[in-house]
Amino acid sequence: MRSTRPLLNLVLGTGLLLSLIVAPATKAQTPKRGGILKVSYGNEIAHLDFHTAPGYEMMWVAMNVGCGLVDIMPDGKFVGDAAEAWQVSSDGLLYTFKLKPNVLFHDGTKVDAAAVKFSIERLMDPATGSGMRTFYESVHSVEALDPSTVQIRLKHPYAFMLHMLAGYRTGLIIYSPTATQKFTLEDRKQGKPGAVVGCGPFKLVEWVKGSHLVMDRFDKYFQPGLPYLDRVIIRVIKDPITEMAAFKAGEVDFIASFSPEHVDTMKAQNPRALMMTGKETTPMLAAMRVTIPKDGKPMSKERVPHPIFNDIRVRKAVGCYGIDRKEIVKIAFKGQATPWVGIIPPGTLDTVDVTSMCPYDQAKAKALLAEAGYGPQKPLTFELMTNTEKSVFNVIATVIKEQMARIGVTANIRLVDKVTWMTAANQDGPWDMYVEDLLSLLTLDSNAFLSTTGASWNHTRHTDTKVDDYYARYAREMDPVRRKAIAREFQEFSADKLYWNAISGSPFYMVAQPWIKGYTYNAEFEVHYDKVWLDK
Amino acid sequence: MRVYILKRLLQIIPTILGITFVVFVMMRSIPGDPVVSLLGDAYTEENAIKARQDYGLDKPVLLQYVIWLGKLVQGDWGTSILSGRPVLKDVLVRLPVTLELVVLSMAVALAIAIPAAIIGALRQNTWADYTATSVAMVGVSVPEFFLGVLLLLLFSIGMGGFLPSSGWVYLPGTCQTVVCAASLWGNTQHVLMPALALGVGRAALLTRLLRASMLEVIRTEYVTTARAKGLSERPVVLKHALKNALIPTVTVMGLQVGFLIGGAIVVETLFAMPGLGTFGIDAIIARDYQQVQGFALVTALTFVFINLIVDLTYTFLDPRIRYS
Repeated sequence: MRSTRPLLNLVLGTGLLLSLIVAPATKAQTPKRGGILKVSYGNEIAHLDFHTAPGYEMMWVAMNVGCGLVDIMPDGKFVGDAAEAWQVSSDGLLYTFKLKPNVLFHDGTKVDAAAVKFSIERLMDPATGSGMRTFYESVHSVEALDPSTVQIRLKHPYAFMLHMLAGYRTGLIIYSPTATQKFTLEDRKQGKPGAVVGCGPFKLVEWVKGSHLVMDRFDKYFQPGLPYLDRVIIRVIKDPITEMAAFKAGEVDFIASFSPEHVDTMKAQNPRALMMTGKETTPMLAAMRVTIPKDGKPMSKERVPHPIFNDIRVRKAVGCYGIDRKEIVKIAFKGQATPWVGIIPPGTLDTVDVTSMCPYDQAKAKALLAEAGYGPQKPLTFELMTNTEKSVFNVIATVIKEQMARIGVTANIRLVDKVTWMTAANQDGPWDMYVEDLLSLLTLDSNAFLSTTGASWNHTRHTDTKVDDYYARYAREMDPVRRKAIAREFQEFSADKLYWNAISGSPFYMVAQPWIKGYTYNAEFEVHYDKVWLDK
Repeated sequence: MRVYILKRLLQIIPTILGITFVVFVMMRSIPGDPVVSLLGDAYTEENAIKARQDYGLDKPVLLQYVIWLGKLVQGDWGTSILSGRPVLKDVLVRLPVTLELVVLSMAVALAIAIPAAIIGALRQNTWADYTATSVAMVGVSVPEFFLGVLLLLLFSIGMGGFLPSSGWVYLPGTCQTVVCAASLWGNTQHVLMPALALGVGRAALLTRLLRASMLEVIRTEYVTTARAKGLSERPVVLKHALKNALIPTVTVMGLQVGFLIGGAIVVETLFAMPGLGTFGIDAIIARDYQQVQGFALVTALTFVFINLIVDLTYTFLDPRIRYS
């Protein structure tokens, strides 16, 4: 009979070892209060009027200095921010929010229903010039029923009201009416002390453009015990090599948006670093121009077909069958992205994989081009605009150029800087195709901002009102099952028409030092430091 | 001397007018609309028209320049289109950073160039001379950004953060922010690598130039006379030869300030320094016209004043030079 002693010893030993490992770990999981979180941003903060400033960097400050009504969690569930509870009427037209009783602005004034009404009305006011105004189109009125109850009345049902409040352009930020009226817009934009008053976990201490932004703990924050950190210092480090060096040297605790091209190097240099990513919510596009102004004047309402890409056969030959998405992902993203065709990327709500509708097929591409009148006698040549914002755009453009050559098409790359690209794209300037990743998309509905016929950011200038109908039907359908069906139909329609030509998802990475605890990754949508603590 | 200085100061006016006008027109000639940067996702035709009106961008370019100039005369350098901040305020925060970088880079350059040139000249065609000349050649050939990355790899990553890879600690007395560290040691740690990256290239150039001047000067009669009088080698070299050989070097040093400010754009970006270089490049990228004007103005003024100081230095180096 074999002795059971070795087994017993093994069990006891393992138990002891586990207890040694687990006990300190459990102890370490108790959040520690204090410390300074050093964050690196790759881009400069434009200005500090949260309702109008462009760029994610500003928004990530806004959601820590400010508060909103609701937040969205990574699983898509909503949690109250300043709102304690909310109700939606059965017809979907009334949203009633009950505010938490202890929410204060940093100047000591109370966050009440009047402040919420003021903030939403400010966003809806054309004079404010907020890009979010289009999403408030469904709002009929906002009423303060009592100091702690605010009611939003809609003109028609809008299934994404909560998504919009939580995460469109990263969500509503409640403004203090007192501070807003006391200070000028310029004061707020410059981040003058007292002018930028929020109700979030951190109060703005100082912003020195080009150098740093400092936020300190707001001791009267409505979440008891939060935030844990004493201070957050945000620095702008544009060069990824320097950013990696700063991270390696421990000068930076948290990189809010890390360049995907350098992920492997970062992992190799810092094996203990926390690399955070998720399903892609930003599409990488090879957008093709559909119409141009008839009179040559940019933004003219009178449109004529784009000489190349208005022809659906050419769009399909080039954008559908002529592009090898897998090869692009392999070369440009080292395989760290998903080849994709749909109007919304893999991580967006109600996404449908319609990639099979566009298999890489050179023969089919050539046949379609021949049908459209292009071939050796009349070779197709177009301009492929790319910009210097991210090096991956240029890699993608180069691969596309090579792929186009395989089907007898010449793509002439035009490299410009970001502002030149934005000017050409937004102002209806001359371009045929561009490579870009535009906006992180929480829902299919949020893409209306970029692709309805009347949208300023409808860069391809397609005029197909069926797209608008799809968006309207989808957004107003309150039944989730029927809504999903519309989403599928719309994405198939979109892949068929290619007004919006996705190549892949565009991966997003955040990097944190191993001592950073308590951070919940939710892509670009929610970047909160209130529960973050330093385990060192 | 006073008349000379006054004349030189008056000459600054047309220089500044010329530079700012050229920059003003060029910025508006290149593609890209600042309103697009300003509005971002809020871009609509209506918002763009309103923003252009608000910032006077709908007016003819010449009129815009006259308005800018009129405000400048009153001490108003304009307001950043993008951030809404007064340009002068931002320039004053960033100027000390770049000035310190430029001065220290020049100090690095001289600290390397003077001994290397003296050794090279006095021991011409020996291994010491060849070494100094070869190192100078390598220094000229290595771009600032490449040297900067090498320094980062060595001192920051390789030596476990011995020198900080980025950021800035202000010199005591130059910090204009509420929350800022200001210490001499902290400042030295932060400026050392950028100053080396920027200064080594200049050192190489100055070494070659000064060596050639020294070779010329040590063969002149007054140096031979000094030696014949029994003066030891040290005062002969340092007092008689070097002082005279420095005149063309000082001229080039003045001209190099322009290159240093240009190089500061690269070095400041690499080391994430909040100086004028990053201010200028950000302004150009965003088409923030007012900031670009501010950058051009302060760069031109710095260049002109440093060259004035250089000209005045001649009288110290060679008392025979007189300005009237």
